Amino acid sequence: MRDGLISLGRRLLARRGAALGLAFLALVALAAAFAGLLPLDPLGQSVADALKPPSSESWFGTDELGRDILARVVYGARTSLVTAFGAVLTAALVGVPVGLVAGFYGGWRDSLLMRCIDVLLALPNILFAMALIAVLGRSQSAALIAVGVAGIPGFARIARAQVMTLRSLDFVTAVRGFGGKPGYIMFRTILPNALSPLVVQAIVLASIAILLEAALAFLGVGVPPPTPSWGEMLRTGKSYLYEAPSYAVLPGLVLTLTILSFDTIGRALTAILDRDETDASGATIGGRR
Amino acid sequence: MTKLSRRRFCITGLALAGAAPFAAAPPAAAQALKGGTLRVGVLYELANYDPQQLSTVNFHVIKNLYDSLIEYTPEGRPEPSLATKWAIAPDKTSVTLTLREGVTFHSGNPFKADSVLATLQKGADPKRGKNVFSTMAIVKDWSAPDDRTVTIHFRTPVPDRQIFDLLQFLIPIDPKGIDTVETVPAGTGAYTLVSRAVGQGLTLKANPKYWREQQPLAQDLVFTVFSEDAAASAALESGAVDIVYNGSSRSAVRLKDAGFQVFSGPGQLVQVFRINSTRGPFRNKSFRQAFNYLMDRASILRVGYAGMGKVVALPWAPASPAFDESYTRTYAYDLDKAKKLIAASGLSADAMKGWKILVDGSNEASVTISQVVQGSLAKAGIPVELDMRQGAEYVTALLGGDFDATFGAVGNVQKFPTRVTTNSIYRTAGNPILKDPHPHPDYVAAIARVDGAAGGEAEVKAAYDNLNRVLVDEAFGIPTNSYDVGLIVASEKIGGVTLDIDNLFVARTIGFK
Repeated sequence: MRDGLISLGRRLLARRGAALGLAFLALVALAAAFAGLLPLDPLGQSVADALKPPSSESWFGTDELGRDILARVVYGARTSLVTAFGAVLTAALVGVPVGLVAGFYGGWRDSLLMRCIDVLLALPNILFAMALIAVLGRSQSAALIAVGVAGIPGFARIARAQVMTLRSLDFVTAVRGFGGKPGYIMFRTILPNALSPLVVQAIVLASIAILLEAALAFLGVGVPPPTPSWGEMLRTGKSYLYEAPSYAVLPGLVLTLTILSFDTIGRALTAILDRDETDASGATIGGRR
Repeated sequence: MTKLSRRRFCITGLALAGAAPFAAAPPAAAQALKGGTLRVGVLYELANYDPQQLSTVNFHVIKNLYDSLIEYTPEGRPEPSLATKWAIAPDKTSVTLTLREGVTFHSGNPFKADSVLATLQKGADPKRGKNVFSTMAIVKDWSAPDDRTVTIHFRTPVPDRQIFDLLQFLIPIDPKGIDTVETVPAGTGAYTLVSRAVGQGLTLKANPKYWREQQPLAQDLVFTVFSEDAAASAALESGAVDIVYNGSSRSAVRLKDAGFQVFSGPGQLVQVFRINSTRGPFRNKSFRQAFNYLMDRASILRVGYAGMGKVVALPWAPASPAFDESYTRTYAYDLDKAKKLIAASGLSADAMKGWKILVDGSNEASVTISQVVQGSLAKAGIPVELDMRQGAEYVTALLGGDFDATFGAVGNVQKFPTRVTTNSIYRTAGNPILKDPHPHPDYVAAIARVDGAAGGEAEVKAAYDNLNRVLVDEAFGIPTNSYDVGLIVASEKIGGVTLDIDNLFVARTIGFK
């Protein structure tokens, strides 16, 4: 498992796009994690210095209250990454077991669970998230839950598809023959072998979560001020495009690069895992590739 | 702004009444202007056509579809409109109006005393009177000896300015259309309704029987509704509209720098930090008084309104007779004084926390200035959160009094001081926030004293001074700044803009150079 992860990491880094994406995400994650150690104050107001352009003193310029935009971008990364991580965790913790149970047992359990998932899928993510925030109130945890719940169907459907593929294979039949119980077979036998597409899904959902959190903030239902949030900065910054273009452009650029990084890594992982699968199934025999 | 004494008001009013025939003549500058189609960008969708439901959402149409009994000049002098003369009884208990002849409603009905009576009847009805109802509190009854004369009787002697405010606020409605006025306009105004596309705009055309000579100048008046301030500004810059009405101060400043004309009238609003003194730490007077010093008014004016307006510590626009600049200096932002009052409140740190500032999330200025206060409070050692609500959710909380503290603008602050009681936080009875019985009896008494000050100038001034003192002492509303509502930003080819006392949009004098 450990060797496999190291090998996967090496193969990812061998791809230039994925390597750049990883480097950027590492930078953002480190900045967010150690923001408190940096000489940055995201809340300090100085109205006299409002809407200053980027300078050596303030690399990204200042916002309408004279707060340092770079500081707010760095602290905003916390909001985005915590929301993304929390949303992925929420979605995976609910979606994967649902998919495993539905796929493993089939029958009425499958029908019931998948119809529930279909209901969730039928709801547009943003509307569902807004409705949930209307009930829970405007806070980071509400945004996290809203985005997480919106991600459940993706995990459930992928997990179900994987189980349906794997449950009839010999190694699963063997474990069942040795008296393995359903829970053991699902979580200890099938799940480890279904992880690859779920990891890709987690990365894809992380980028969707960041975008959705930003969209909610942009619509005015995200994390309340003065907590920094990229979406909130975009929302406010658009009103100052004439006076201070950097206010909206720079946080927007960081947001775009973060999502692009996640997507690039997700695509690279998909390509690597697809190749592994094809190799394993012997599809290359006969020179098909 | 010049303050007018009661006597000067009366004299001016009578003098202007004598000059009534001339009031209908167009200004000289207007005669050089050409007509055409005037295209106006607005930021609000119209609610309805009832002139007694006056609010910023219908500011752009009311003075184009209707006329008032009298008008104010931008300086606050009353001048004739549908009433050509007025005579205030020596004991100040009645006013007799002479109505203009030759005026017809859009329906073709002649304008007579019956329409004024029907309008008074509607205004005095608690269900139908809407915004006018509270102003009608001073009115006892009315009569019409003939078609051209109406006499309004008051319950007690009423100061002249209050009488003029009432007359200016009374907009005659066609009796034939008074029951359907919300959906079908029924006025005598310079324009008539052609069509309306809900959410998109409104088209009006010149009233061919309009009574003011050579008005309106523009034959067609087309309003386009923009959902974004920036989109309206872009439309003006691209030439898609000729005027943007009621846009943001910040856009106005930018467009002025770009060469556009900006007109701001005297009808400013005053932003007030409304405190629910029936809740939590706000029951403590000393704690509330600290907010007089906690407001960084200069910063609020700058970040919220691009510096357009004036910092104020009282709920009066500079044009108000009760305006007193010395309060702005006395109650300037001072963190040390605020901290002393907070300490003097005797409240524990825990007792001072746990409340939130309600914020209109869809109002950019409200979000920004609330953060300024949040920052000041943090410096004073009181961390508070913002309770962001959107649209109707916010309005419901604001008008229902479901908040600890919030910013909300107050209007009618350039007229007779007790008109401030038309705003929910300043109501003396039936206050939706402070409830009944009113928790600040000194304030209620101060308002009553101003209402009853119909005597000499000294008596009036003493009543105003007393009200001002009580307002900062009770501190349930902390004014921060006046700001412009109904700003007009026009292309350079536009001329003849008339400034209304309430900053309503008056199109009849506007033409093309």
